[in-house]
Amino acid sequence: MESVVNGTRAETARPAAPRAKRDWLRLALPCGVGLLFLLAWDLSVRFSGSDLFPKPMDVARAIVELIQHGLLVKYVVASLFRVSWGFALATAAGVPFGLVLGWYTRAAQAFNPLIQIFRPISPIAWIPVAILWFGVSDAAPIFLIFLASVFPITVSAMAAVRNMQPVYVRAAKNFGLSEWELFRQVIFRACLPQIITGLRIALGIAWLVVVAAEMIAVNSGLGYLIIDARNAGKRYDLVVAGMLMIGLIGLGLDMLVRKLENFDEVRWGYANRS
Amino acid sequence: MNCPAGQSGLGKRPLNARAMSTSPFFSLRRTVGGFAIFWLVGVTLLHGWMNLHLFAHTGGTKEYRFRIGFLPVTCHLTCPVTDFINRQQTGTSIFDPVRFNGWPELKEAYLSGYTPATFILAPMAIALREQGVKIKIVYLGHRDGSALMVRTDSNIYKIDDLRGKTIAVPGRYANQRLLLYRELKARGMTLDDVNLVEMPPPDMPTALYSRAVDAISSGEPFMGQTELDGYGRCLYQAKDVWPGFISCVLAVSEDMIRDHRPQVQELVNGIAASGKWLDTSMDHRMEAAQFVSTLYYNQNPRLLAYVLSKPPDRVKYTNLKPTRANFEEIEMLGKAAGMLQGTAHFDDYVDTSFAPDDDKVVEQNYEPKTQ
Repeated sequence: MESVVNGTRAETARPAAPRAKRDWLRLALPCGVGLLFLLAWDLSVRFSGSDLFPKPMDVARAIVELIQHGLLVKYVVASLFRVSWGFALATAAGVPFGLVLGWYTRAAQAFNPLIQIFRPISPIAWIPVAILWFGVSDAAPIFLIFLASVFPITVSAMAAVRNMQPVYVRAAKNFGLSEWELFRQVIFRACLPQIITGLRIALGIAWLVVVAAEMIAVNSGLGYLIIDARNAGKRYDLVVAGMLMIGLIGLGLDMLVRKLENFDEVRWGYANRS
Repeated sequence: MNCPAGQSGLGKRPLNARAMSTSPFFSLRRTVGGFAIFWLVGVTLLHGWMNLHLFAHTGGTKEYRFRIGFLPVTCHLTCPVTDFINRQQTGTSIFDPVRFNGWPELKEAYLSGYTPATFILAPMAIALREQGVKIKIVYLGHRDGSALMVRTDSNIYKIDDLRGKTIAVPGRYANQRLLLYRELKARGMTLDDVNLVEMPPPDMPTALYSRAVDAISSGEPFMGQTELDGYGRCLYQAKDVWPGFISCVLAVSEDMIRDHRPQVQELVNGIAASGKWLDTSMDHRMEAAQFVSTLYYNQNPRLLAYVLSKPPDRVKYTNLKPTRANFEEIEMLGKAAGMLQGTAHFDDYVDTSFAPDDDKVVEQNYEPKTQ
């Protein structure tokens, strides 16, 4: 185990030059791998002789075309809107529900089998149900994204309570905290690091299902871009451009959630783990 | 307690990275709460402005408006043409066309009531009626406009050569399946003699190009696309083997017929007038290829122009009043092919009261600007 303080000492003890070199490598290594990937992609398309699968430059031109037509920003906003609301609703429902299930054994016994039945069902299987319930408005993809992310959030919150050190609860009870205060002040805070990990995984899943969610007849979004490009004949450059944008925004969202780990309320949970 | 994957190095982060978190102003609750509200409000406003056009002036009309489902295929061309011409002439349209990308979603949107009117495969509409769905066919979408394509270098030159081959069709209730059944039957074969796979029409050209299937059959423009790109050869056109072939129809819910009869009549009149407009002049078709491709289908205008002109009778939009003889043939073939149960008949699923006789249809009063 390495504490924050120990880590800080190690950092400050190092000379400046190797640290600068290390920072440079942190950027250069992924860029190098990325360039190699692009090169391999380009060469494999050239050697295969396929005129259907696009080369990296075709995809870059497709992205420029989307920007010029003002579609890229519109589609990114539409997808972010659906994922944001689906994920926000899943968080609002999943975290309290998971904490309750983790704390009250009887509640877990009652609900856990149902959760485990619903959890493995792919959002694609829910598409007909979503259309029948919500038509093809934004509510349908939001519902699908909610379904995809609510179960990982619930299960991680439930597991967090189960794994919590009992000493926190015993100490809180000695101070005479009410049940509500116990949940708010102790259980929630003790479980926060693990909940954040669950949220991070769930956000990845929520963004992952955006293509499936936008297969419904919405007329905007990056998933729609991919489905729509299939109608447009040989526009596989647009398909790959949509895939690339989904990947890049997914990376950005993950980096955003990881920023939460900088807060003391979350950081302690990681720093003290062995 | 085990450390989750990817988190083990967190303890190595320098303390100065925590500067934000140590400030009382940037507490976790305040930062995350504030950011979440800002993000949700921001992205909602942007989405409302850019995609839903919530802040655009709509004119505030109180008239009944309804949605109509369609797919980006030539079988449904009269839907966007009617919408476009209505908007050009009056600045608005009585309906909102909703474009789908596949038959299942289109059908489910109809069942949910989201689209009380829809362009739909004729056998699918009949099958829905058999299952008790309140649906009525009020007009046809087109005549002909389907084909079976093989690769140019394929050794399939006649129907008999299809034996044992893999053929893609759009779905269980696709009329292209009936067309194939009819052709095979005429040569003493059945659908069991070929390997049928179901595939969304937009994926068919690529499947043929990559030799994933031996033949493809669907509506246009996906068949014409293989010709235009140089790797597809037509084995048969619907117009040559089943003249007057019907694939898609315009259907509305019985509730809409009961509650909004004038609007159904206006819709049918508009679709009929657009069909006549399309079949009156090649200039009209070329104009439609331009605005439909760019505004409704997101396809290359050259592709739509190709299938609407080569040959000109590849797909037709006149003579669209539903007739008993046509549908009884579909019923009979559908039952024989195992697609339909045969429990719904012409009067159950067709309402001819809206469809004008072909000689009484007046074409849209709209002249192309690019003449």
